Amino acid sequence: MFSVLVCDDSLVARKQVAKCLPQDWEVAVHFAKNGQEALVALKEGKGDLLLLDLNMPILDGYGTLEAIKAEGLSTKVIVISGDIQPEAYDRVTALGALDFIRKPVSPQTLAEVLDKFDILHSEPEPVVEAAPLDPDIRDCYQEITNIAMGQAGDHLARIMNVFVRLPIPNVNLIEVSELHMMLSDIESHEQVTAVCQGFLGPGISGEAICILSDSSFEDVAKILNVEGEVDDQLQLELLMDAASILIGTCLTGLAVQMDVNFSQGHPIVLGQHRAITEIISMNQIRWKRTLAIELSYGLEGYNVQCDLILLFTEESMKMMNSKLAHLLEDF
Amino acid sequence: MSQHLDDLLEFHWMMDMLQTVDVGIVVLNRQFKIQVWNGFMESHSGMLPSDVRDKSLFDLFPTIKEDWFKQKSKPVFELKTRAFMTWEQRPYLFKFPNYRPITGSESFMYQNITLSPLISATGNVEYISMMIYDMTDVAVGKKQLEAIQVHMTEAQERNQLAR
Repeated sequence: MFSVLVCDDSLVARKQVAKCLPQDWEVAVHFAKNGQEALVALKEGKGDLLLLDLNMPILDGYGTLEAIKAEGLSTKVIVISGDIQPEAYDRVTALGALDFIRKPVSPQTLAEVLDKFDILHSEPEPVVEAAPLDPDIRDCYQEITNIAMGQAGDHLARIMNVFVRLPIPNVNLIEVSELHMMLSDIESHEQVTAVCQGFLGPGISGEAICILSDSSFEDVAKILNVEGEVDDQLQLELLMDAASILIGTCLTGLAVQMDVNFSQGHPIVLGQHRAITEIISMNQIRWKRTLAIELSYGLEGYNVQCDLILLFTEESMKMMNSKLAHLLEDF
Repeated sequence: MSQHLDDLLEFHWMMDMLQTVDVGIVVLNRQFKIQVWNGFMESHSGMLPSDVRDKSLFDLFPTIKEDWFKQKSKPVFELKTRAFMTWEQRPYLFKFPNYRPITGSESFMYQNITLSPLISATGNVEYISMMIYDMTDVAVGKKQLEAIQVHMTEAQERNQLAR
């Protein structure tokens, strides 16, 4: 059944809002007293629709919206609040709310808004239980990435005279919302620039995303022996160079172990000085699940933070598993 | 004997294909002396393969900064990775006239360039190949799109002021 979560700190308001829901609408209604409770309920699947107040103790409406966005929770949010300043409206819609209804809410306005966004007739999104990644296969991917990384690190260290702190690769099968989560983890309030590059081998396809925090550029310039002021144009070039080297060495390492060859497309700059979630928000619909190998590089003695994410399509795993069969047999 | 002839013929049409493909192909050795210069490069630069063979890239094209290009190709030789240059970074490496000199709106060719290692039978990289792609149409399209976006934002701002 479609579920509605009413979140308000006032009992009167919660009752009032619940009463205003269309009479003939068969829904399960749940309540939360603040944002924190609402988030818990949402995670339990108790809110295909969230009717959210703004001013609440513990976690207010803005915070709740931010958390929903950051954690990629799938719910439709309509804000119901007494704070009707134009800026409040702009802020909540920017944070992902569908609409803003002024308190006290009336059955007519609520019905109109529900109708406007076609919520009355919508079905709850079917929850597809994703088969988790087989631990043996995960282990195998992690191992080949480790080896590839080791080779890449050795190459980088020799050509650039730096010590590369080798990360432990994080291998996961992830869904769209999780990629958002993963990237917002990386984000941590810093501005970043990202380069994305497609790669293709026989039966294997994917993309590599290389994310460099803006504060790293000065040091990257030093390492690559680039002199002069690091302006936007130069930053772009540095990023391209650093990305090609990181992606290239890592892919070569993987390709050798799988006995394939990857061709690489031209790298595309995803955005300069933008929040990560913004960068990937545009194309989130085309795929459902992807195999993600996440690497976080650091260079000793330099303030360089660089994240490399290799994303493989689900179909690619068949070919990869067969290429790695000799490794898997030992388990 | 006929097997050898077939091989030779095959080699001939393969070379013909490299020669006529609509992508620039240049092969450089470690001293950055040109080893291969295909038809695309010949037509656009007006230099014959015999003019450029074994000559230094930097002598022939003084606008290409030697230090910069060497830095760029270092990982290709040393790490066997590819290096890329896109038209958004620098519009062109070789200043070639637009492919459509009459109806084209740009005076030069925008280029995407890929440097890739050519790995020898012994596993070493003695030569690198440079592929030059003509990106003029894409660049023109993107520039037009941006111009329209700026135009629209301005129009919106004017409307807001008028209100």
